[in-house]
Amino acid sequence: MAKLTLPAQELMFSGHSACPGCGAALAMRLLLKGLGPRTVVSVPACCWTVIATPYPTTALGVAMMDNPIEATGASISGIRAALDAMGEKDVTVVGFAGDGGTADIGIQALSGMLERRTNALYVMYDNEAYMNTGVQRSGETPLGAWTTTTPVEGHEHGKIEAKKDMMAIVLAHHPVYAATLNPSFPEDFERKVEKAKAMSGPRFFDIFAPCSTGWRFDAQKTIAIGRLATDTGVFPLYEVENGRYHVTRKVGSLKPVEEYLHAQGRFRHLTPANIAAVGAQVRDGWEKLLTFESESLVAPTPSAAPTAPPATRA
Amino acid sequence: MIEIRFHGRGGQGAVLASEMLSQAAFIDGKVPQSFPFFGVERRGAPVTAFFRVDDHLIQIRTSITQPDIVVVLDPGLLKVIPVADGLRPGGLMLVNSRRPPAEIEAPPGARRATVDASRIALAHGLGSKTMPVVNTVILGALARASGVVSLEAISAAIEKYAPAKPAQNRDAAIEGYGAVRTIDPTTSPVPPVPKVPHPLPPLPEGPIASRPTTSIHTSSWRTLTPVIHLAHCTKCNFCWKFCPDDAIGFDDQGFPVIKLDYCKGCGICAEECPPKTIEMISED
Amino acid sequence: MTVMVLSGNSAQAHAVRLARVQVVSAYPITPQTSIVEKIADLVATGALKAEYVQVESEHSALQVVVSASGMGARTYTATSSHGLLLMHELVHWASGARDPIVMGVVNRAVGPPWNIGADHTDSMSQRDTGWIQFYAESNQEVIDTVLMAFRLAEHPDVRLPVMVMEDAFYLSHTLEPVDVPDQAVVDGFLPPREAHATLHPGTSARLGSFTGPDRYVDFRFEVAKAMERVPATLRLVEEEYKKATGRSHGGAVPTYRVDDADAVLITMGTSTTTARTVVDDLRAQGKKVGLAKLRLFRPFPNEEIRALGAMVDRIGVADRSYTFGPMGAAGTEVSAALYPSSHHPAVTGFYAGIGGRDVTPHVVRRMYESLLSGAVPEVHWEDIEEEVSVDG
Ligand SMILES: Cc1ncc(C[n+]2csc(CCOP(=O)(O)OP(=O)(O)O)c2C)c(N)n1
Ligand code: SF4
Ligand code: SF4
Ligand SMILES: [Mg+2]
Repeated sequence: MAKLTLPAQELMFSGHSACPGCGAALAMRLLLKGLGPRTVVSVPACCWTVIATPYPTTALGVAMMDNPIEATGASISGIRAALDAMGEKDVTVVGFAGDGGTADIGIQALSGMLERRTNALYVMYDNEAYMNTGVQRSGETPLGAWTTTTPVEGHEHGKIEAKKDMMAIVLAHHPVYAATLNPSFPEDFERKVEKAKAMSGPRFFDIFAPCSTGWRFDAQKTIAIGRLATDTGVFPLYEVENGRYHVTRKVGSLKPVEEYLHAQGRFRHLTPANIAAVGAQVRDGWEKLLTFESESLVAPTPSAAPTAPPATRA
Repeated sequence: MIEIRFHGRGGQGAVLASEMLSQAAFIDGKVPQSFPFFGVERRGAPVTAFFRVDDHLIQIRTSITQPDIVVVLDPGLLKVIPVADGLRPGGLMLVNSRRPPAEIEAPPGARRATVDASRIALAHGLGSKTMPVVNTVILGALARASGVVSLEAISAAIEKYAPAKPAQNRDAAIEGYGAVRTIDPTTSPVPPVPKVPHPLPPLPEGPIASRPTTSIHTSSWRTLTPVIHLAHCTKCNFCWKFCPDDAIGFDDQGFPVIKLDYCKGCGICAEECPPKTIEMISED
Repeated sequence: MTVMVLSGNSAQAHAVRLARVQVVSAYPITPQTSIVEKIADLVATGALKAEYVQVESEHSALQVVVSASGMGARTYTATSSHGLLLMHELVHWASGARDPIVMGVVNRAVGPPWNIGADHTDSMSQRDTGWIQFYAESNQEVIDTVLMAFRLAEHPDVRLPVMVMEDAFYLSHTLEPVDVPDQAVVDGFLPPREAHATLHPGTSARLGSFTGPDRYVDFRFEVAKAMERVPATLRLVEEEYKKATGRSHGGAVPTYRVDDADAVLITMGTSTTTARTVVDDLRAQGKKVGLAKLRLFRPFPNEEIRALGAMVDRIGVADRSYTFGPMGAAGTEVSAALYPSSHHPAVTGFYAGIGGRDVTPHVVRRMYESLLSGAVPEVHWEDIEEEVSVDG
């Protein structure tokens, strides 16, 4: 056998009920590989509630707590507080929430958890819509995308607003570590997981999670679409540690954004002008990111550098 | 009153089939009722939908446990779900299958019908090879095999209510109408034993769920199966890395092995295999 | 045992200290705030070794203790009025997850208009969430009930969360002498929590889950059965508390001079104290009146109310909230509890003390006189002066 480039342990079981080819399922599998068995995961209402299968079965080889959709940030604060009170050490506490449960209805609890410096890793698995309820728009749905509540009919042409920049919002809370991850790049993914695991304090992951059901592509394309997202600049891979940005996948020249958009049914209706607008936005984001990186090499960005990081708390 | 139970998979359109059938029955001047068994099904997982039709407003609101007709949109379900449960004596079982109806297992005394709906759907550009959208073909076949609705009403309902490709869906239904094969029962019907709903045992584990899902086999979700041609396999492990179902292990020599109890047939391994040595094949 | 002059809110905080609570979550709202402030002091000085989690909302406050309780910790939080209403989703969650949380609730009116006065609308609106509900009459009862609440909540036959209510200002900010039990006494009465059906790091298990119609009812049925076991378990817990401290508070429905009464008034919370004085006055005048206190509201003490109903012909129920039913919440429940009995006393619902109005001796006397005269409507707003008809 060739040497495995990822940890061999499997803490997400087969037999779960994600759609075939689900990016969110692969995200969980890769995440737990790196985090190991002493992990407690809090999961709000989202696809993963269902993926984990009905009582009395569970799809995770670790402890899993359900929580209401908007309360993941608070839930992981509670779990950490209990572990601290009971003297349980070396446990990684994880909130694993969808984009809707994070960026929309759960943003208050997330902000609270980051601000009170809970020693936990908050993961937003980003499938860019409310998938469990059947593909409705969220704050993370990108510009132009079709969803059932941003229809392409009559004078409507998909979502008219841009995606909410969750990384920027999170970074304004000065987490010890924040990173974007993409299962299409599993080695980069695993390196970030291991890095985050070794830290203590509030940490945040934005994990790209292609959803063939909601994005309208054939299931076998999940990985290819993820790769395109990063290589077109739509979903750049980077990390921010103590205010320093680091782009972890340097793309010399970005692929045309069309390649990514044309691969998915949710963007099928976009006109060349629409595509040009998306392309401009993507390029702008990418260039800003490169600027942040080069500037923060000189001096960590002020917004991301608290003067004296407070001690970690529950 | 005629009661029909649809069995399909999330994504195949079983629920939509029962809805369009309602619209068709209404066009025919009858009073329909249709509703899904609302689970939280993902694409590929088994789903159920119910349909009733009568001359007057239907006065019952329950799931259908003793159907007159059972419609199976996916032949793979025959192996995993007791689809014929409660089928009334002399009832009809209509299955999407390329096999002749005589080869379909059904309760004694049932009429049997088959239609190769997957092939017809793909020929009309409906769905993909992994997930053909067969619901409209099945409706055409159902109109012919059961007579509960007319083909005209089915066509009109599809043109109006199909969420996409109305013309192709209508033509597919017409082809299904022509292609369905039916045989009458060879044995006399046996009255079904009414199923008494038995209470589940009390909660054994309190509110804690702790049985691993490896006890659940998801093989029936797949329509295509990956086959690894080891001659060209370089043991790069890409297939293992990317499988969202952890359905790939390794043999003694380090070659990848598909865990067929769990593989859902997504095709990622075949797509990502650098030497392209994994092939997705149809098992039916 | 030490006698301290304490407010109801301090009494809650001292009970939390004595119970050795491990995780407390805190968010301010008048008139609850001084509970979490006092606990913050106790933690700061080391008198209480607990994780004190400062949250950004009551919704998160309850989620923090739900999750901490699900991990096996002993937990407490406190709230009032709008805070409790914001928690509503989690209030259901806590009982469904079988988390033995104890929560202090300072009963306060709900806006608009904004009003911080005493009113039971907040906790009454949570009466069907699977929590055990106590309404306290004195600060002594507050401290004792919170301590008993932990025993009851964590009892293997129960495993349900408990709310301990106190009337805004009439208890929360009222100072009075309170016997505070010694730590050793409480330790003997309340051992550390024995976690059951909780999560443990390193094991594969899920707490919460989802089910279909085939299974859900079993979970509800388990909660219902646990609720049914509360009265018997409460008797046991009270006995043990009495053994430890010498005090008890008379079970679910303590009564006063009801034996030969023509009319009995049922009260909740602080209006009970005033009513007791009025009973003595009226008795001195030869009027045969009695009093019963609904100390436990959930589960509803059917047996006690039926026993009371068998003894008297007229019952009045004073509700400190308006709930849009045939009577107030307590009035409706009392009527429903009595309905299957063979003896049917006439039941009158009174609204008294809504939004912090004083329930004065005058108001109580009027309720008794209405009952004794027999000429009362089915429901009566005692706070509205225009409607005063009996003694003007
Ligand atoms: C308070 C509340 N509102 C609405 C819902 C319904 N709901 C359940 S899952 C879900 C979608 C969640 O979307 P997201 O967080 O993006 O996760 P995904 O399903 O896409 O994986 C919604 C809206 C709920 N459970 N609770
Ligand atoms: S809907 Fe999307 S995110 Fe949800 S299980 Fe299916 S593929 Fe995964
Ligand atoms: S097709 Fe391949 S990648 Fe998909 S579930 Fe099966 S083994 Fe895994
Ligand atoms: Mg989502």
